[in-house]
Amino acid sequence: MTTPAATMDAAAPAPRAREASLVRRLIARPDGLAGLVILVFFVVLAAIPELLVGPLQTATTATGGRLQPPSLEFPLGTDEIGRSILNLTVHGARISMVIGFLATLITVFIGGVIGIVGGFAGGKLDSVLMRITDFFLVLPTFVLALILAPIIADVIGSGSSVLGIRTTLIVIVIVVGITSWASTARILRAQALSLKERPFVDRARVIGAGRLHIVRQHILPNVVNLIVANAVLVFAGAVLTETTLSFVGLGDPFQPSWGQLLNAAEDVGAANLGAWWYFVPPGACIVLVVFAFTLLGTALDDLLNPRRRERR
Amino acid sequence: MATRFIVRRFAQAALTIFLIVLVNFVLFRAMPGSPERILARNPNVSPEAIQQTRERWGIDKPLIPDQLIAYVGATFRGDLGNSFGQRGRPVTEVVGSHLGPTLLLFGLGEILAIVIGLALGAYAGWRRGGAVDLVGNGVSLILYSMPYFLLGMTLLLIFASTLHWFPSFGMTTLGVAHDSPLEYLADLSAHLVLPVATVALGLIGQYSILMRSSIIETMSDEYITTARAKGISETRVLRGHALPNAMLPTVSLIAINLGYVVAGAITVEVVFNWPGLGTLTVDALKSRDYPVLQGIFLVLSISVVFANLGADMIYGRLDPRVRA
Repeated sequence: MTTPAATMDAAAPAPRAREASLVRRLIARPDGLAGLVILVFFVVLAAIPELLVGPLQTATTATGGRLQPPSLEFPLGTDEIGRSILNLTVHGARISMVIGFLATLITVFIGGVIGIVGGFAGGKLDSVLMRITDFFLVLPTFVLALILAPIIADVIGSGSSVLGIRTTLIVIVIVVGITSWASTARILRAQALSLKERPFVDRARVIGAGRLHIVRQHILPNVVNLIVANAVLVFAGAVLTETTLSFVGLGDPFQPSWGQLLNAAEDVGAANLGAWWYFVPPGACIVLVVFAFTLLGTALDDLLNPRRRERR
Repeated sequence: MATRFIVRRFAQAALTIFLIVLVNFVLFRAMPGSPERILARNPNVSPEAIQQTRERWGIDKPLIPDQLIAYVGATFRGDLGNSFGQRGRPVTEVVGSHLGPTLLLFGLGEILAIVIGLALGAYAGWRRGGAVDLVGNGVSLILYSMPYFLLGMTLLLIFASTLHWFPSFGMTTLGVAHDSPLEYLADLSAHLVLPVATVALGLIGQYSILMRSSIIETMSDEYITTARAKGISETRVLRGHALPNAMLPTVSLIAINLGYVVAGAITVEVVFNWPGLGTLTVDALKSRDYPVLQGIFLVLSISVVFANLGADMIYGRLDPRVRA
């Protein structure tokens, strides 16, 4: 599991000194610090769930009774087949975070390519790409995702696994990716459009640099900051979409994410039975992670987005 | 309002709706299970019978243009095919019968959220750094990070299963014959409170964040300083100068966000067993009832397109610069 901070280190071409000062400026802000702390906590949970709560409990390894309230043995109670909610929630961290991370990669990749190509190429290609982007921006993409999920599952076949991730989850990753790239494309297009007019791009063009060279050497390094800030916000959205998709029954019961746990809680009517311990832990985790990423994303956006900086 | 602006917006909306129908057409062809594939599995079915089926369903003709024209034509006539489940009832009928409850729930929630959210955001931005701003901003961010259904489950736990203030599911109490319309209305209202509160609370977070940043941005404009310098009272500066201008970006953002809000509304209905499009969506998903899913997609997308069109018209009325 790579944290966005780590991705940033790897991707930004700037010297290390500037990197350090960015982290320091981030920590100096209360929202940046809070976001970072919560995030590190969940990354640790996702990285070593076995060390904290043992292996993921299944129907056969469950030890508790049906829907037991919290006790010393089960600090967060049990579900309808006697599994510890603490165990499930901690293991859910990895699944939710990995799905969110992969979906973010796809989203930012599609949005980045469409936005940068559109902004840089201009003309007919740009207006066609932006028509498509606007279309996806207006569309209730979640409903589209609901229809796409079973179709994609049919295409790649269900039940097997790719790289240790079950295909049901891969389907969610793909569906989130292809339905939520539109706002990223819009933001990056605007940036590419303004970069294109800058003198250094003109100079490169005058000395005979090719389009690909200009995009790689002059445009990309200047939008990396924007991409990072946007990716953090996209991650928050991806976790929410994954949760909602799992909640309506598209998740994988064998690799329960937080959304899948909430779906199971809804199916047994936990809220009606007063079994708060079933849905409050995974729910709180989702809210905390989305909250942390929103804080971090806004802080990064303030620090890195050139338009915002100018306004200050 | 300039007619050119209106014509352009309507043309755009028409194009978007056409694209939506096109997406639906492509999805219909990509869906698992065509009649001939199912027939071909049976070795006793002769090639002639398969050919007859192909002709009967019109899939012997080329995809483009014949099948596409037939599909678009049928869609505009309101023929969206038949449900796989629900004893093959027409999709239009199935979707139509679930439309009312969703409109009621969602319309009420949306109105409440716009009024409260915008007022809260405007006040918080106006008194930036004050108590309302700090508390409101924190609460808004948490509400914004919360999936709607989680909010719904929490409200259900507190106000229905613990305090027993409100009923926990459905639109009316099951098996109760209402003696008078008034009694029916009271029963309906009691069932409405929690789901509407969920939708409204979920939206208030978003709207107040939008309105707050919009007000703050407007307040730094020079005409506000001018207005203050002229000695106009603070409340009049807010009402007459800042608010109308801060409303502009908020109106269009609310419309753009509608597409996302729809997702949340679906899950709220599931939590409260509200007999609307959301519950229908999840039921259709469970039984893989693709025609119904596509019908819902069509109805929801077209509604969002029209809402955006409406917002653009309001925008044009509010902001004279757009008309040019």
